[in-house]
Amino acid sequence: MEFIDAFTVSLQSVWNDSGFSSFTLGNGIMILVGLALLYMAFVKEFEPLLLGPIAFGCILANFPNTEFFGEEMNVMKAINYGIQFEIFPPLIFLGIGAMTDFGPLLARPWTLLLGAAAQIGVFVALAGAMLVGFNINEAAAIGIIGGADGPTSIYLAIKLAPHLLGAIAVAAYTYMSLVPMIQPPIMKALTTQKEREVEMKELREVTKFERVVFPIVSTIFISLLLPPITALLGMLMLGNLLRESGVTDRLSDTAQNSLCNIVTIFLATGTGMTMNAKDFLVPETLLIICLGLIAFMGGTAGGVLLGKVMCRATNWEINPLIGSAGVSAVPMAARVSQLVGMKSKPGNYLLMHAMGPNVAGVIGTAVAAGTMLAMLK
Amino acid sequence: MGHPVTTNPFIIMMINMTVVFIVLIALSFLIQLIHKLDPTKEPEVKESAPHVEEDEMQRLIKNVKDSKTVTSADIPSEDDVPEEVIAVIMAAIAQCGINGEVRAVRIADRDNTAWKSKARSNLGSMK
Repeated sequence: MEFIDAFTVSLQSVWNDSGFSSFTLGNGIMILVGLALLYMAFVKEFEPLLLGPIAFGCILANFPNTEFFGEEMNVMKAINYGIQFEIFPPLIFLGIGAMTDFGPLLARPWTLLLGAAAQIGVFVALAGAMLVGFNINEAAAIGIIGGADGPTSIYLAIKLAPHLLGAIAVAAYTYMSLVPMIQPPIMKALTTQKEREVEMKELREVTKFERVVFPIVSTIFISLLLPPITALLGMLMLGNLLRESGVTDRLSDTAQNSLCNIVTIFLATGTGMTMNAKDFLVPETLLIICLGLIAFMGGTAGGVLLGKVMCRATNWEINPLIGSAGVSAVPMAARVSQLVGMKSKPGNYLLMHAMGPNVAGVIGTAVAAGTMLAMLK
Repeated sequence: MGHPVTTNPFIIMMINMTVVFIVLIALSFLIQLIHKLDPTKEPEVKESAPHVEEDEMQRLIKNVKDSKTVTSADIPSEDDVPEEVIAVIMAAIAQCGINGEVRAVRIADRDNTAWKSKARSNLGSMK
């Protein structure tokens, strides 16, 4: 009899401690959302490197009683600290810098204007978010989705609206993976066949001196002007300097491969783990996803429209399609410019021309984030 | 975090866009400055050589061959000059930036060239 009592109590204790006893409908929905994201990542191959860990983090976050964020330290809590204390986004930028070739931008500095024009989407979404009732900090964090830059979106969300981090990160990475579907209709709608067929002149050769001096000078200039984004821009340019110096190949290799991959796993998993049912299943999430789409479309349109102006101003020397690459989804947005250009005129290779606005977009989004941080502090 | 400067969405939008454009325009000037100060860059060619298309080249070669202006009985025939040599001469002239048209190419009298005379006299003085 005593054995049966003990067995019953133990079973009850196991049940009470299990996730099943506290499992809610919201947890179930979020696990389904996680599974849907896993499907998109691994079957449809939409940004699998990022969406995969985000989706799995989302599933992990919705198991009750895991004590991930309890008092005791554990690996999940450590990963969360990496996000909460803004450690991972700058480290990702170090890797991005080491992977980025600023050559096309240095050869054509005016493409920075296209990178700036593509930030229009950020500010349109910011205004839209404020009009639908988000406060100014939340609106700024939502708007930056339009920059199509995951680490910057996360960085700004942590600083301005940490409770919206999950929705913002998912919206940013989802739209980044959907660039080949979102951008072409807008690009075609805003350009004529003649504009899409414009062939651009070859880029000039960029010397090693320019490649090495640019990251140093731009870090000094932007960091003095916008100190809140020094961590992001500084790491981006350090990574690039490691790449271009020619004497730090081992560091450059580590930054763009091992380190970047490790931090990507942590950042994406940690971001997914912010998607618990309580914070994510709210009407604001749907609004954020809609506003993110508006931001993305606005950014694409802004870049293409300035591209059209430049096309006319330079006597048809610039193909306006490269303007859409001003959103900083590197190199996806540049590839889209190339694909749309090739469809209009086979043999018209726009990829390297579009890489200028594309990397300008990375800087532009970081500058936009820095400006908002400076204004809202 | 303190209070924001303004809460008007359109003012925030305009201020931010202006700042982004100013920063990136300034950065583009910095890039141009770096390019100007670059001590390792190759000096720019002031006037690029005119680009001669394939058809145009064939036309020019034909012109040279058909030209009657300098042909005479006492100089070797132009038929002795290979087309490749004519093309190379025209390309070299074009590379020098001379925008004219080569009308004729002939092989000079080998026995009475100034260079040959000079070389002969030079050789004689060495003896």
